[in-house]
Amino acid sequence: MDELLLIPIGLPILAGVVLLLSSFLECRRGVGTIGVGKGLSIFVSGVIGISAVLALTAAWQGEGEARLFSLLKGIPVYFRVDEAGRLFVTLVSIVWLLVTVYALAYMKEEKDGKRFFGFWLLLYGVLVGLDFAGNLVTMYFFYEMMTLASVPLVLHDGSRESIMAALKYLFYSLCGAYGGLFGIFFLYRYCDSLTFAPGGTLNLNAVQGQEGILLTAVFVMILGFGVKAGMLPFHAWLPTAHPVAPSPASAVLSSVIVKSGVLALLRAVFYIVGTDFLRGTWVQYGWMILSLLTVFVGSLLAFREKVFKKRLAYSTVSQVSYILFGLSLFEADAMTGAFLHVVFHAFVKCGLFLTAGIFLHCLHRQHVEELGGIGKRMPVMLWSYTLLSLALVGIPPACGFISKWYLGLGALQSETGIFSWMGPVILLVSALLTAGYLLPVSMKGFFPGKEGKAAEIMVSEEETKCSFGMLLPVVLLGGTAILAGIFPNPLIRYASDFAGKLLGMKGLG
Amino acid sequence: MKEVMMLIVVILPIFTGILLPLLFFRTRKGMWIYLETAVCVNSLLVLWMLLHAPEGTLTVFRFTGNLSITLRLDGIGAVFAALAALLWPFAMLYSFEYMKSEKNEKSFLLFYVVTYGITLGVALAENILTMYFFFEMLSLVTLPLVMHERTREAVHASRMYLYYMLGGAAFAFIGMTFVLAYGTTSTFVAGGVLDMARTGGKTDMLLLIYLLCFCGFSVKTAMWPFSSWLPKASVAPTPVTALLHAVAVVNTGAFAAMRVTYYSFGTELLRGTWVQSVILILTVFTIVYGCSRALKETHLKRRLAWSTVGNMSYILFGAALMTPAGLAGAMAHMICHSFMKLCSFFCAGAIMHKTGRNYIHELNGFGRKMPKVCFFFSISAFALTGVPGLCGFVSKWYLAKAAVENGNILAYVGVAGLLVSALLTAVYMLTIVIRFFFPGKDFDSRTLEDVEDAGWMMLAPIGMAAAAMICLGLHFGPVLEVLERIAGELGTL
Repeated sequence: MDELLLIPIGLPILAGVVLLLSSFLECRRGVGTIGVGKGLSIFVSGVIGISAVLALTAAWQGEGEARLFSLLKGIPVYFRVDEAGRLFVTLVSIVWLLVTVYALAYMKEEKDGKRFFGFWLLLYGVLVGLDFAGNLVTMYFFYEMMTLASVPLVLHDGSRESIMAALKYLFYSLCGAYGGLFGIFFLYRYCDSLTFAPGGTLNLNAVQGQEGILLTAVFVMILGFGVKAGMLPFHAWLPTAHPVAPSPASAVLSSVIVKSGVLALLRAVFYIVGTDFLRGTWVQYGWMILSLLTVFVGSLLAFREKVFKKRLAYSTVSQVSYILFGLSLFEADAMTGAFLHVVFHAFVKCGLFLTAGIFLHCLHRQHVEELGGIGKRMPVMLWSYTLLSLALVGIPPACGFISKWYLGLGALQSETGIFSWMGPVILLVSALLTAGYLLPVSMKGFFPGKEGKAAEIMVSEEETKCSFGMLLPVVLLGGTAILAGIFPNPLIRYASDFAGKLLGMKGLG
Repeated sequence: MKEVMMLIVVILPIFTGILLPLLFFRTRKGMWIYLETAVCVNSLLVLWMLLHAPEGTLTVFRFTGNLSITLRLDGIGAVFAALAALLWPFAMLYSFEYMKSEKNEKSFLLFYVVTYGITLGVALAENILTMYFFFEMLSLVTLPLVMHERTREAVHASRMYLYYMLGGAAFAFIGMTFVLAYGTTSTFVAGGVLDMARTGGKTDMLLLIYLLCFCGFSVKTAMWPFSSWLPKASVAPTPVTALLHAVAVVNTGAFAAMRVTYYSFGTELLRGTWVQSVILILTVFTIVYGCSRALKETHLKRRLAWSTVGNMSYILFGAALMTPAGLAGAMAHMICHSFMKLCSFFCAGAIMHKTGRNYIHELNGFGRKMPKVCFFFSISAFALTGVPGLCGFVSKWYLAKAAVENGNILAYVGVAGLLVSALLTAVYMLTIVIRFFFPGKDFDSRTLEDVEDAGWMMLAPIGMAAAAMICLGLHFGPVLEVLERIAGELGTL
């Protein structure tokens, strides 16, 4: 079964490179076509379909592993399936399948479709590689690749604004990656191996007397990987880069790529350093403070933002830090909540960005105020949006409630002094703000009031019909958001088993 | 018999060069074939010599007592010689196409081929005097190359070049005399040659002298505050900037600094002293300073030259760690940086030569017109940035590993410096790559109608360097083994 692991990584990357080459040659000959041809559609959906099925098979068929050549002395390129990889690969694959359907419809009239899908496939392969990576160096390799492959998606439309945004994204990400690398250098010195093992591989004898420097290194590493996850003080790239990207790209950026930062943190802290070393140190508290601050500030900024996609980007900043806060507590229930929130937020935010894409693409509206009265034109879509919003706010029975419940519960149970009650309070305040910045869109949409109606009639000629391919993923995601909240038990069991294993306890589910 | 080979590889290129004006070639191709054959044969001879590893020494000339010009092949020298032998044939090929349309082609090629022999002389030097001799020669022989264009700017640059080189050599000379006075022998011996009985009580003075000597040799490596000659010297034709001022000459400086540190003064005397701190601070500062200056620079070649300043200090930083692992890391970066910078400079040269565009803002959309050159340039940019899978990452990894093991707080700062510089490198290299391939919406491709891709004589060396970057990046194991064995002579890793 081991080779099976490599196919979902290699196949999309290869297919992506082929597409890029062909797009490049077309561009040179000056015959660049607009839109997405039938052949391209079949090729892209075929490759994604096959790789996603293979990736899921590999993930759920036991503990496969594959070892390639050694990249550095004693450190091979090494892939292995484990709980974290399984969770994230499943997430990535489902999101990718849905968004590919959407993207094929979305890119119909855009330029350079081939180039877009080239990087699209490439990025999928890289993400699967990142999730299956079995040691820190392999993970770092794919982490860098992910940044490089996603930059062209951000600058896709080629305007000056988007190029500047892409550069900002690139430099923030690299800055973060180098912060991570700084930590890796030190971990290589003080750990028995860089291969992931639940509970960590830190050699406590070697660390003796050097705790200060190692803690600093780990903190730099947390900050570094936190850049991708949008943690303060390095969150500024999200609201710049997400809005300018084409909507399918911003959907995966916000739902999956930021989660890679979470995965990297998870790997570094729980699989290499180990919680025993960090528990109760300033690093843990620093991490908690930063993530709580991000939760609050992110929501506040989202609340004040008027551009819809930017608002969603700030919302991502805040929501991903829920996950980081959950992880930072080193407590089983909080971690369960964090894993649940990884899944739920990915689906919900993906759906929200796809909705924003429809507003932008079909209605050419990007400001929140312009969205009055759309409930009449697009009832199905606005209903899906409302369901997704409810899920993100955390109103039962939608899914966000469950993850926030566990996060709050875990915080109260953790013995972290002031944070054990301050955490839940901030989470609640932020949930209120979330309601404040998401739900008005639904309300205005369904009940525009008098002036809203007038504006609606004025611009209605510009509209294009929203195609079925774009609507379907949004509806599916909206449905999932509710269904996952009503039947969460299998997921909760998986998450709590996983959390227990990482903390060295027996499963709680 | 094998020992004679050491002399032959030094002499052969020098003679090839000297004979060049005397010979008559009916066509330019004839001259090319003559030079390329000579260089290739010489490289093969170097290879043969490395494989047979002569153990003895060869004294060419003896002044008096233990002052002699003597050649010997040892580990670190072998690495340097192999690097030169690998790069020169390709660089020669590149310079043929580059110099085709320039003036005074012949005199350029003459000095260009002579430097090959002299660089090998530095690599094969057995004692500090021999190294000093070839080191000086290298400065003098490369001077006409810098001056080649005879413009005001070139003359100015070459004058500056000369002052820096001679000044540096003067300081190195002071160090040399002290090694001769206080050492048991002038030969390079792993671990140093200072006679501890004679140095008693004068350690501080010796440390100061070592600092002068190190800085003197580091002038060639463009360490701050001696770095401004390097970007100025980039007025020289690109084959010079690429091979000499990114690889051979600057590496000679680093190589000489390693020699005096590990083989003359010895790390035992130096480790943990204030001198080590001073040097670590200087190198780490240069690493960040070079990259920051590169960021500010808008001229393509000068930007790469500033990047060299930063990268050469990686090597010095590794050497200044004064541990075997540090030396191994330094040599690893010496090898990797050579390929990376050779490739990026060659690409820059191809662009300037083919299109006459020198400034970075003029390079929008080149990816469509010069796809091969731009592609290879991008690989070198990614490698310099330190993307895993390419050689820049590997050498940075080993340098950082050595620094972390070192335990000195300045070494930790150095690790941070490496990463800051990597980030700056990403900024100044990847912006160029993005310009190449994503010129933006309002880009008008008609402005580039005159642009075409480089010929095979330029592309072959560039492609070779790119292939080497990828191979080294993916499979550095064997090279590392060699380096560790060499460094292992100095103590346990």
